[in-house]
Amino acid sequence: MTRKGRRLVLIAVALGVLGLAAGLVLTALNDTIVFFRTPTEVAERQVAVGQRLRLGGLVETGSLAKQGTSVRFVVTDGNGHVTVAYTGILPDLFREGQGVVAEGMLKPDGVFAADTVLAKHDERYMPREVADTLKKTGHWMEDAQNAKSPPAAPAAGALTQ
Amino acid sequence: MLSASLFAAFAFMTALAVMAVLWPLSRQKVARASGEADLAVYRDQIAELSRDAAAGRLPPEQAAAARVEVARRMLAAEGAASDVSLGSGRRRRIAAAVALVFIPLLGAGLYLRLGSPALPDMPLASRLAAPPDGTDVAILVRRVEDHLAANPGDGRGYELLAPVYLKLGRTDDAVRAYGQVIALLGATAERQAALGEALVVRNEGVVGTDAARAFQSALDLDPTMAKARYFLGLAAEQDGRRQDAATLWGQMVKEAPPNAPWLPMVRAALARITPPGVSSPAPGPSAQDMADAAALTQQQRGAMIQGMVDRLQDRLNADPKDLDGWLRLARAWHVLGDDGKARAALQSARTTFAGDAEAAVRIDAAANEIGGR
Amino acid sequence: MIAEIGQYALILALVLALVQTVLPAWGARTGDATLMSVATPVAYILFLFVGSAFAALVALYLTSDFSVVNVVDNSHSRMPTIYKITSTWGNHEGSMLLWVLVLALFGALVALFGGNLPERLKANVLAVQGSIAVAFLLFILFTSNPFLRIVPPPAEGADLNPVLQDPGLAIHPPLLYLGYVGLSISFAFAMAALMEGRIDAAWARWVRPWTLAAWVFLTLGIAMGSYWAYYELGWGGWWFWDPVENASLMPWLSATALLHSAVVMEKRDALKVWTVLLAILSFSLSLIGTFLVRSGVLTSVHAFATDPARGVFILVILSVFVGGGLALFALRAGELKQGGLFAPVSREGALVLNNLFLTAATAAVFVGTLYPLALEAVTGDKITVGPPFFNLTFGGLMLPLVFAMPFGPLLAWKRGDLPGVAQRLMVAAGIAVVAAVVTAAAEDRGPVLAPVVLGIAVFVMLGALTDLAERAGVGRVSARVNLRRIVGLPRSAFGTALAHFGIGVCLIGIVCESSWSLEKIAAMRVGETITIGAHDLTLTRMENRTGPNFHARVAVFGIREGGVSQGEVVSGKRLFTARQMATTESGIRTFGFSQLYVAIGDETPDGQVSVRMTWKPLVTLIWLGTVVMAMGGLLSLADRRLRVGAPKPARRRVSPVPAE
Repeated sequence: MTRKGRRLVLIAVALGVLGLAAGLVLTALNDTIVFFRTPTEVAERQVAVGQRLRLGGLVETGSLAKQGTSVRFVVTDGNGHVTVAYTGILPDLFREGQGVVAEGMLKPDGVFAADTVLAKHDERYMPREVADTLKKTGHWMEDAQNAKSPPAAPAAGALTQ
Repeated sequence: MLSASLFAAFAFMTALAVMAVLWPLSRQKVARASGEADLAVYRDQIAELSRDAAAGRLPPEQAAAARVEVARRMLAAEGAASDVSLGSGRRRRIAAAVALVFIPLLGAGLYLRLGSPALPDMPLASRLAAPPDGTDVAILVRRVEDHLAANPGDGRGYELLAPVYLKLGRTDDAVRAYGQVIALLGATAERQAALGEALVVRNEGVVGTDAARAFQSALDLDPTMAKARYFLGLAAEQDGRRQDAATLWGQMVKEAPPNAPWLPMVRAALARITPPGVSSPAPGPSAQDMADAAALTQQQRGAMIQGMVDRLQDRLNADPKDLDGWLRLARAWHVLGDDGKARAALQSARTTFAGDAEAAVRIDAAANEIGGR
Repeated sequence: MIAEIGQYALILALVLALVQTVLPAWGARTGDATLMSVATPVAYILFLFVGSAFAALVALYLTSDFSVVNVVDNSHSRMPTIYKITSTWGNHEGSMLLWVLVLALFGALVALFGGNLPERLKANVLAVQGSIAVAFLLFILFTSNPFLRIVPPPAEGADLNPVLQDPGLAIHPPLLYLGYVGLSISFAFAMAALMEGRIDAAWARWVRPWTLAAWVFLTLGIAMGSYWAYYELGWGGWWFWDPVENASLMPWLSATALLHSAVVMEKRDALKVWTVLLAILSFSLSLIGTFLVRSGVLTSVHAFATDPARGVFILVILSVFVGGGLALFALRAGELKQGGLFAPVSREGALVLNNLFLTAATAAVFVGTLYPLALEAVTGDKITVGPPFFNLTFGGLMLPLVFAMPFGPLLAWKRGDLPGVAQRLMVAAGIAVVAAVVTAAAEDRGPVLAPVVLGIAVFVMLGALTDLAERAGVGRVSARVNLRRIVGLPRSAFGTALAHFGIGVCLIGIVCESSWSLEKIAAMRVGETITIGAHDLTLTRMENRTGPNFHARVAVFGIREGGVSQGEVVSGKRLFTARQMATTESGIRTFGFSQLYVAIGDETPDGQVSVRMTWKPLVTLIWLGTVVMAMGGLLSLADRRLRVGAPKPARRRVSPVPAE
């Protein structure tokens, strides 16, 4: 094979692999991505029944109901409310009044059937989408420790003077 | 200031850094032929080819072809002329000067910006072992906490700790500690009121239902408990029941012993919610101020009130057309024990409102109140 | 005093890093041997200073010095000693200090073992290393200073994030950083070569051991992180396609490609431009990983730093080094002479194919990781690119690569004989097909593709053995000669075979775990029994336990198999008092290569506890396989061929392994 021929084969193979990669990526992006939606958007019926999505917001206080390993709770962003049904063990950091992201799909009766529930990871971390949405709807509360420290500061300062 | 040992350590470290640069500059460097390193690699490749060929792992024709390739690379490497020199004295001098000046200067400059040379180390063990002299409040608290962890039934310990928590801003702990005090030592009006106060501070000045309940229990135990009555009044005000608040506080003022330290506070609160008179309503201390004040010690509370009085004085000096303000100022000075200033305030009011009969009546009444006591 | 010495040591490190950047590079430009020689001692002392700063921080953590903000925020005086030490790097500031410590360590090692390098190359490499150190020391000192003090000091710290209170933290970040930062050496070599405008086969030999060492650490670090997430997070998953995991996977893929292309360059003087580009890209991906993790731009279970100032600073560092590297590459790549020729079907051709697939896979992971960010910036839509995307794209690209893997080492250099190689692989392929068919017949559950992938995994493992057998001439010469040849094989040949074998092992674990796991979720009371696969689990008792800084509620399960007791497994929840935060402690029992995984949830007031139990067949092979791969890398590193190349070999002692 000539030098030119070899190079052509190489380029053809490279293009083949890159084409395969691009094809896979584009297909996957079409089929597998999951949109994030707020309870308001779900309540306004912007979401088709049976479409996979991530629902994020705060767990409404007092809404958690357990029966064996099945749980139901309400996710809210202040305006909309969506009931979530889930079977399994809730994450350690799942608490009422805290941020949560549930992945699953909406059923015809308006209940969101979740197969994955993620809670915020630690005291200072909240899923980014949830934080953004809550800021927009005016429900953002700085983390509890920060909120409490300002009144503490003058007292502590005065004491040591 | 920099301690001697710290300074010595810094000096040693700086010297080490400078030497790391000066030492190689002072040495005679033997320049190596630049192709030498490459040749060593290629010689080794040849040796490996021979080994593989000899062991039968590489067919002879492949080995020969590879050897030719490596040999070509060797020739290329040998051809590369060395252009590395010993270097010039001028560059060396510049480098040395940079090391001597730049390293210490930049190091010291950055340290002055970032460091805290005056602070000694404070490992926890030695802080716990140090004799308690009252300077390390956090450690004092911890000592009591440790004691309480060992003797959880010691209510007195919690009673000692609770107000300190409040001062340190650890309001959750304060509430918990007061709860323990009441559980272990029994409820008194003071303890219930203190618990309520802690709850208010935790709630950022808002009297919640839990706090109101605590104050109510305090009043059940001692109906004259001033703190509890004041805060229940505040609760009423925050609920929008201004009339109830006015009644409560009005009663307090009426029944107050003349030298009650809380009297001006209650009067100020009362003035805040009484419907505006001739002039604009006087801005009183906010609920936040009051809650803060409640959390303070006697002495700090005095300082805070003094500050409020000073602010009022300044405001009136700037804008004297405020009769209520002057009267309030006069009463405040009186309570703070400075009747001279109280009279001066009344005098200013008289001057400002000269010719106003109604004002004169009120000023006279205030003067009587002050003088009559 | 310790805190202030640490602070000053860090400052002097910055100053020395500046010196290390400027003087040797100036020397290399002017051909001044004396100025170039400054690099070596400065690199040592730089390491000494960063090491002192790090030791100072460890000491502050050990003594619970709460006058240091960093210690207050991430430590608790009642933590066990090991966690006091590991919490040094279990937070943003400390982990960045560890990053720079590893960087300085590698700089010092290049200075120590770089005696066989041309002086100019060594000076330039250390100068580039110095400039990276400057950037990150500036970052630490001005945005993430671990030595800031607080007055008055509190009496207790806020505790380390409970998820991190685990021996995994002692091992995972240091290993990962040794890998990440090790790639900076390849980057520095690439930059130095471009600055000189000269690059040849010898360069590939010098850079390969460093890349190999970094690759070994990165492999182990990723595997360790995966196992840690598996047992600590309590979900039983071992890979989440979390952006932070992807951030470590991308440099690994790229470094794997670099390792292979460097072989071609070393042997045949070909693929020079490509190799240099891969060296730049690998470290750039490391930096991007650092940026993703440290700036908190991504939704991620790992993101614990969310300060925009830091994000911007790292972004600047990123653009300077990536942009600078690529610009220099664009400027100089044209000057590099092309080397040896090869036919498409040849060892070189196979390695090119390997590189194509690996880079394409890297690109796919890159797109999946950053696409949500880009989309949100452009349209405001928030999306999640989850496991389905990566399984399809990454799996789709890796399967052909893995299938082609056994062919590569059997092909000859320059021009290979594909039918011949295929013939030699017939035995391996035959056994693999049988394995796939038997599995498909025995398991009626799981995806159809699973037995096929299992067959490929077996093919890869046997293919690696075939390679060794071929080199020994099995079937062609006598057994005695076979043995002699096997013994005489260079260690790197064993290394290659072992690493490829490890991939097969790992793949078997992945297929079995993801296709044939059994899971049950139930609410149980004490005394109740649940059957999963061949095992019966009985909840024997619930009890309270107390740790140094936590309270635990644990469930004890008795395991029986066919009526015979197999001991107990304990799963629990820990409540850490300082942060009022709970963690799940999963209970794991290993049977052969398989595991029983038990996690408990909340307990209801009437004594029911929710339990999730999973039987994970052959799951440990996932990590054993990666360890085997790393062993292969270490074996290659120990090859004597990588140690030679010193101008005066006679004078040199045999040196420790990862250094050269």
